[in-house]
Amino acid sequence: MRATLLRLWRKAPGPLGLAVLFGLGSSGGARAGEAGPAGMAYIPAGSYAPLLRSQDEPERVPVAACWIDVRPVTNADFLAFVRTHPKWRRSQVSPLFADSGYLADWADDLEPGPRAPAGSPVVRVSWFAARAYARAAGKRLPTTAEWEHAAGAGFTQADGASEAGFNSTVLEWLIRPSPIPLPVAGQGRANFYGVHDLLSLVWEWVDDFNTAMVTGESRGDTGLERTFFCGAGSVGARDTSDFPAFMRAGFRSSVRANYAVPNLGFRCVQSP
Amino acid sequence: MKTYSLLLFPVLATVMTAGNAGPAAAPCCPPPAARPACCAEAKPAAAPCCEEMKPAAAFSARSLYQLDARWTDDGGQAVSLASLRGRPVVLAMFFASCEYACPVLVDDIKRLRAALPEELRGRAQMVLVSFDTARDTPAALRAFRERMKLDDHWTLLRGDDGTVQELAMLLGVKYQQDARGQFSHSNLLTVLNPEGEIAHQHAGLMGDVSEAAKVVAGLSRAALLP
Repeated sequence: MRATLLRLWRKAPGPLGLAVLFGLGSSGGARAGEAGPAGMAYIPAGSYAPLLRSQDEPERVPVAACWIDVRPVTNADFLAFVRTHPKWRRSQVSPLFADSGYLADWADDLEPGPRAPAGSPVVRVSWFAARAYARAAGKRLPTTAEWEHAAGAGFTQADGASEAGFNSTVLEWLIRPSPIPLPVAGQGRANFYGVHDLLSLVWEWVDDFNTAMVTGESRGDTGLERTFFCGAGSVGARDTSDFPAFMRAGFRSSVRANYAVPNLGFRCVQSP
Repeated sequence: MKTYSLLLFPVLATVMTAGNAGPAAAPCCPPPAARPACCAEAKPAAAPCCEEMKPAAAFSARSLYQLDARWTDDGGQAVSLASLRGRPVVLAMFFASCEYACPVLVDDIKRLRAALPEELRGRAQMVLVSFDTARDTPAALRAFRERMKLDDHWTLLRGDDGTVQELAMLLGVKYQQDARGQFSHSNLLTVLNPEGEIAHQHAGLMGDVSEAAKVVAGLSRAALLP
């Protein structure tokens, strides 16, 4: 065990290493015997209760195990990517794949500048750009189910919903405006699996964000507009009291894949 | 094999990729040799008689035709979206076993087409792209074509999961497969101009398609100009 921890420490030095150690030390769920990819935490298989589902679908759907980045992708990470992938630089990206807000906080093509510190999460990246980054890293974007499953863990137990004080911490972030520049990624308290900042730093892209079919604003319409979506009659909400889940579904349903939005970043996953 | 009148247009032959440039290509312009997808924007070597027809220029920044995705039509032929270049396109995503919205969506497109001035009706191509990568084989699409009585102005396409997802993301189409294999999805008609750029989108079923028809008619007229 000690050797494994040392190996992890070497793979992910600095605060990241600490985070991994802390995560492993505090959780029974992590795969303690395996080092895994650097900077990623193991999320064991489990299940996820979709916010919106059809009547005849099971309440929970199974989610396979995956490795997930312990923190969101940072400006420094993304800078390294655009250096080697020029078509994703701000001045060269196709408008088909990123709107005019793409990397708008950056000072220049290869200079994030003071509004985008190296260690802060990269935001104003489109889904296409996030997916291209993930592919270049040999990873992929998490599915909604994978992301929600990882984010459903509390600080001390796998099921955050039943952990005292966890939900109020999540709500706190939702009501607090995000500072500019954004704080350094990886500093938030690690969850049960050793993952940071899932619910406390930025919104994050998921691979299948376009499966969220809420129209208009989430308060007024928890169902679907029948003429706009096929299958509308069969989809309803699971738990109307899970406000943060509604916020996330509403957010996902309001963006398009070329949008580059402030406070919307991403992290990657890998299948074991 | 179905022969689409679309394939008969020599100007289109110049942008066709090897997979679909078969016997339907115009006689004076031999189909270009197989090229890797990354070269789709390059000018194909033109036969002398083709030169005056302006070989394909690079696609515009907003053109969906710059994608190198490969599709298969209901005749089992490989198709790139770029082969639609040169005429307006009305595009919708659907799945063939849909019993609720998709037949209505197809009917909406038929109404749109019927609303076009008769002399322009043959200019636009109707394209249906399936979400159902597992069940919508070329044969299933062919059966859908028969069932819905779709003529050669309709192109039915299938692709792999990544290709379908990418197109849906570009169009802003939402879709999700449920436990029974049915899809919930946006009912969205997209009009592409002859360069493959999104010119108009119409959301919803059984609505007023006259605005979309007006856009298609305008693009069809412009495409007729020399």
